[in-house]
Amino acid sequence: MNENSGSRQFQQLCHADAASRRRDFFAQVATGTLGAALAPLLVEDLLAGERSQRVLLPQAPHFPGKATALIQFFMTGGPSQVDLFDPKPALKNHEGELPRAFLDNVESVGAAGGLLPSPFKFRKRGESGLEISDVMPHLAQCADDLAIIRSMWTTSFNHESGVLMMHSGRTLKASPSIGSWMVYGLGSDNQNLPAYVALDDPHKRILLDKQNWQAGWLPPVYQGTRLRAEGSPLLNLHPKEEFPESVLQFSRELMSRLALEHHQRRPSEPDLGARIASYELAARMQVSATDAFDLAREAQHTHCAYGLDNPNTASYGRRCLIARRLVERGVRVVQIYMNVNPNDNPWDHHSDIEGNLMGSCGQTDQPVAALLKDLKQRGLLDHTLLVWGGEFGRLPLAQKGSKPGRDHGANGFSVWLAGGGVQGGSVYGATDEFGYHAVENRVSVHDLHATILHALGLDHMRLVFNHHGLDERLTGVEPARVVKDILQL
Amino acid sequence: MLVGRFETWICLAISVAWLTGSVAADSPPTIPRVEQDTTSSKVENPADGGSRQFDVSEAYIMVNIFHTHCIVCHGKWKQEAGLDLRTRDSILKGGKSGPALVPGKPDKSLIYRRIRADEMPPKQNIFGNEQYVSRVRAADIDNLQAWVAAGAPAAGETNAAKVATGPEADPFVDEDHLDHWSFKPPIRPEIPVVTNTTRVRNPIDAFLLSRLEQQNLSFAPDTESLILMRRAYFDLIGLPPTVDEIKRYAEDNDSQAYERLVDRLLESPHYGERWAMYWLDAAGYSDTHGQINRDEFRPFIWRYRDYVICALNKDKPYDEFLREQIAGDELYDYAALDSLSPRQLDVLIATGFLRTASDATDEGSFNKTGNRHAVLDEQIDIFSTAVMGLTMECARCHSHKFDPIPQRDYYRFAAIFRSAYDPYDWRIPNHVLHPPKLPVPRRYQRYLYHNSDVPTPEVKQYNAQLDLPIQNLEAKISDIKQRRRRKLTEHGEIPEEQLATPEIQSLQKEISVLQSRLLAPMRIHGLADTGGVATPVFVLRRGRINSPVQEVKPGVPIALNRGLEPYRVEKPQSSTDTSGRRLALAKWLTQPNHPLTARVMVNRVWQHHFGRGLVDTPANFGRAGAPPSHDKLLDWLAIEFVRRGWSIKALHRLIMTSTAYRQSSRFDESLHVADPDGVLLSRFPFRRLDAEAIRDSLLRVSGRLNDRPFGPADDFAMDDGGEVVATLIPNGYRRSIYLARRRQRMHTLLELFDSPAMVPNCVERVQSTVPTQALQLFNSKFVRECSRSLAVGVIDLVGDDRPSQMRRIYLKVFIRSPTEAELERSLNALDDLSRRWAEHLSATALDEVSSGEAYRHALATFCHVLLNSPEFIYVD
Repeated sequence: MNENSGSRQFQQLCHADAASRRRDFFAQVATGTLGAALAPLLVEDLLAGERSQRVLLPQAPHFPGKATALIQFFMTGGPSQVDLFDPKPALKNHEGELPRAFLDNVESVGAAGGLLPSPFKFRKRGESGLEISDVMPHLAQCADDLAIIRSMWTTSFNHESGVLMMHSGRTLKASPSIGSWMVYGLGSDNQNLPAYVALDDPHKRILLDKQNWQAGWLPPVYQGTRLRAEGSPLLNLHPKEEFPESVLQFSRELMSRLALEHHQRRPSEPDLGARIASYELAARMQVSATDAFDLAREAQHTHCAYGLDNPNTASYGRRCLIARRLVERGVRVVQIYMNVNPNDNPWDHHSDIEGNLMGSCGQTDQPVAALLKDLKQRGLLDHTLLVWGGEFGRLPLAQKGSKPGRDHGANGFSVWLAGGGVQGGSVYGATDEFGYHAVENRVSVHDLHATILHALGLDHMRLVFNHHGLDERLTGVEPARVVKDILQL
Repeated sequence: MLVGRFETWICLAISVAWLTGSVAADSPPTIPRVEQDTTSSKVENPADGGSRQFDVSEAYIMVNIFHTHCIVCHGKWKQEAGLDLRTRDSILKGGKSGPALVPGKPDKSLIYRRIRADEMPPKQNIFGNEQYVSRVRAADIDNLQAWVAAGAPAAGETNAAKVATGPEADPFVDEDHLDHWSFKPPIRPEIPVVTNTTRVRNPIDAFLLSRLEQQNLSFAPDTESLILMRRAYFDLIGLPPTVDEIKRYAEDNDSQAYERLVDRLLESPHYGERWAMYWLDAAGYSDTHGQINRDEFRPFIWRYRDYVICALNKDKPYDEFLREQIAGDELYDYAALDSLSPRQLDVLIATGFLRTASDATDEGSFNKTGNRHAVLDEQIDIFSTAVMGLTMECARCHSHKFDPIPQRDYYRFAAIFRSAYDPYDWRIPNHVLHPPKLPVPRRYQRYLYHNSDVPTPEVKQYNAQLDLPIQNLEAKISDIKQRRRRKLTEHGEIPEEQLATPEIQSLQKEISVLQSRLLAPMRIHGLADTGGVATPVFVLRRGRINSPVQEVKPGVPIALNRGLEPYRVEKPQSSTDTSGRRLALAKWLTQPNHPLTARVMVNRVWQHHFGRGLVDTPANFGRAGAPPSHDKLLDWLAIEFVRRGWSIKALHRLIMTSTAYRQSSRFDESLHVADPDGVLLSRFPFRRLDAEAIRDSLLRVSGRLNDRPFGPADDFAMDDGGEVVATLIPNGYRRSIYLARRRQRMHTLLELFDSPAMVPNCVERVQSTVPTQALQLFNSKFVRECSRSLAVGVIDLVGDDRPSQMRRIYLKVFIRSPTEAELERSLNALDDLSRRWAEHLSATALDEVSSGEAYRHALATFCHVLLNSPEFIYVD
């Protein structure tokens, strides 16, 4: 509605330019006054237009949700439920046995060993008595904040399709991720930072790379942005070589002058307004992203709490601490990934379940718990939903080897949720006596997604996008349900 | 004979084990199974551990038990114990131990007893290293027992759901459904009469203008000559004109100057490089296998890319272009020939079109039946969206919700490809031959032809470009040696080794780098029939591979068959025993009155000239797609396209010489209401350049573009800061079409400007406007380097005269001269920048700074600003 008036303001400005044109035209620009005056007008002009899809304004949820932000700890590889969150004493009594029915779903028949009890001891934790094994001592202290779903199941026990499923509810490539859906539904509270951020170790790879945070067929503005937890948070956030500030300043202003003149000659092209706004946002991000990633501003005890003083936990700890700083600044979705070695998924423990699990937990347990406690202490936990889990779990069977590991298991595994709207200290669903198969209150990936959306005030049935003539949903066509038992309602 | 076969199996097994052994040493052994997992039905119905939801049919038993677990040893290529378990009849016939099955008597049926006793399939790693056949599921053993006990009824004797399987009418496809414009052949429309005939240069204008005049609108005025030139250059070759070309064109006062410009551009070798990009997008072309984390290289697929570039440059008729890509291997008996001519090779290379889907089945754990089906499904998805403008993917699991494509039509269509892509008689992709560590028997490779060492003209041309620099370097070395010898012989005779200097060594290194780029014998990444009788194809309930319903024969969607010669397979006389199914498809598709083939291609060409297709959903001409904005124009173009011999270049010429194409992109506010999105073409659409054109232009204007065409893809790597950048090759960088297309970790600049990852293909790119693009252009080293080369090149060429420098820079970057005011302001800005640089340099440098140095910095900075400005990346 305001597009014409916006253009009029714009034209007035251009007339003002013409009136004040003088020999040293750029002297005026160089003071910065013109640039500063133009920027807000341009943004308003842009927002007034109908194509506001290019910027992410906050959107009202379908109903008031407890949480306004999501932090997802994605544990690629498939963490073993029977060694972490789902104690199975029966494994001890049947150690070494191999029920014939299990073989139907074993990836490598020849390597399948018998039932393998967990090398770790489980204990009841906190007031709730939630059982968590000894390999996660820090998280165990937060038991009363966790809701563990022990009855997850998924459709695929290959990593790739499993990861796609967990992120997008589909095993098809190029489908939008849950973070993109969330930003599509809720917009962004911060215009100076990306709404949807992925944090991984920039020096290593993760499975499927940026497909994890892709917008798929949603508009690209909903795509996640990979920020780097080490070095510069964004590629080319700053020039690679040193430039004199006076030159940079001048060329920025010269550039914005050229862009404005170009737009002025084509006032009806909304794309150019958006282009100039993107230049402005880039400039603001140079400041705001740098600030959000400046961990030197954190107290020493915070550094220690997140394990930044320990080489084993420092890398993952940095990502957790940055996640808090981003959520504080209104970022909607933060996904934290973990990378170990090239081509090796961090939780894919085919061999030496004991040693490898100690390794993976050793790197992440303290930082995850520190983030949870930190958010709680700052009063942010109520508004932030935390979700921890991988693309599937593991079998209760041993996978043969010099030190036994465990093979992929998709029929029953655990994830936990905490924070915004979650009923702490609760357990939902159950697997069979060996932890092989979810048997009670089974929760599908779509159910989990519906529950996460619900916690943020979004109704999975109403969050639709028309794609190729079909009203698509994150949760697909088959019915999904919100697991209300783990939510405070 | 039998022994020979057995050996080949061992070879396959070993080679797969070698592949899996190539992952990181400390990772757990990935243990491939030969056959599929059967999890999905269990997951679907978990409570009872996956009970049967369907009647036990012959199809169910055949697919889930025999095809999946048995026919690798008892099938087409190998009959252990003389037993062939591919069909009910052959099972009843049995092998050396007598009949394998006694109907009605499970306990007397050898096959049931062996499986029940867990003796079959063998639990041992029967193919050698770490290769297992998966177990038959417990529930399926019960199913087998039930089926045998019931008398092993053949298909049709059970109560299994019936679906129509032939080309006969289907209740799903009623007349109502068929009454959709794109399922009917185009009919040549009358050319409309318009009022303002002066704006009609050809019938395209008449169609568009008649629509505009209905709204009291008209075309915008013709645009200025240099703007039109810039538009035509980017549209046809994806590069800006050089300063000389601009000057020549500006001085050409002939009334046909523009027409001749279009002709020149169509003859440019860069034309194919530009338009191949769109075809490769649609074809899902990638230089990697994709799908798995390794994103492994496809070593020879680039020959298909070169095939497309050459075909477009030669203006190969589109029907022939399609025929070669769909059925090149069935066009002649290539296997009977000892050597192939370049033209014959080309036709085989063309079938790379059907090998673009991501395919990781060279690794055992991705070589399950499900993965194999997925490769084919992806390829069909690519094919149907790219060539037919249909989203057939939907019909894989259920009859199409919007279009009259019943589910069985999907499987009939799939069956056309199944004689080449047989999930139960699979060929693995090719990287094992590169380097050739372990031989894989030819039968298990997807290579089309193994003695394809005859270099094509393109390969010769490619190699010839490297000969000269190699010769030059060799000459340099012998020069140095000569000089040294002269110098040293004063002290007596010198042995050859002592002539070596670090300089010679580094020259020799350069030579070996160049030599390594020479093209050696190659393989063809193409597709061919596997020969023999293909495993039967079944409709799969909900697309689940373990839920076969009923067998189907190859065929095309019946909805498209009206008025066409039907799809008819004729088996060619060929030593490859090829089925002729794809050849029949190619013939059916390229009938002149096919309702989709020409329309879809015409729409694609239109889309890339005007930014949007006449059908705005180029992958979906079905009922859920957008209706054409100008249906009669689309049909007229489609018919005209075929009439002009399917010539794509003729189509370009027709479109680009219309008034619609030559009009200005400026528009006034009043058009906001009448033609808000420009769908009616009341003006030319204003557009951003796509990723490749931006990068190629940066290289061109800065003089860093290496024009060498063809050959293996140039690789890229991650720099210290995490940016993925192209690897510098001698003489700059090549065009982006020659950069490796990866599915993961793509080239940063291209990715940021929306170059798509091929998952699986892309018929319409998105155009995003995000701040990371601004950061990339403003802060990246690459654009800084381009700015410096641009500045230095201009100074070198025009000398110290600053206005001349400025005029040349404007011409190069914006394809126009600066206005007097712009020139004056730019020179002032340059002064200011020089001052700032001088201050900075004198403050930081140790020595005296020359004013020339500060000026060069200032000019580079100025160029950098121009390369960052929207005028550079948008086209009027």
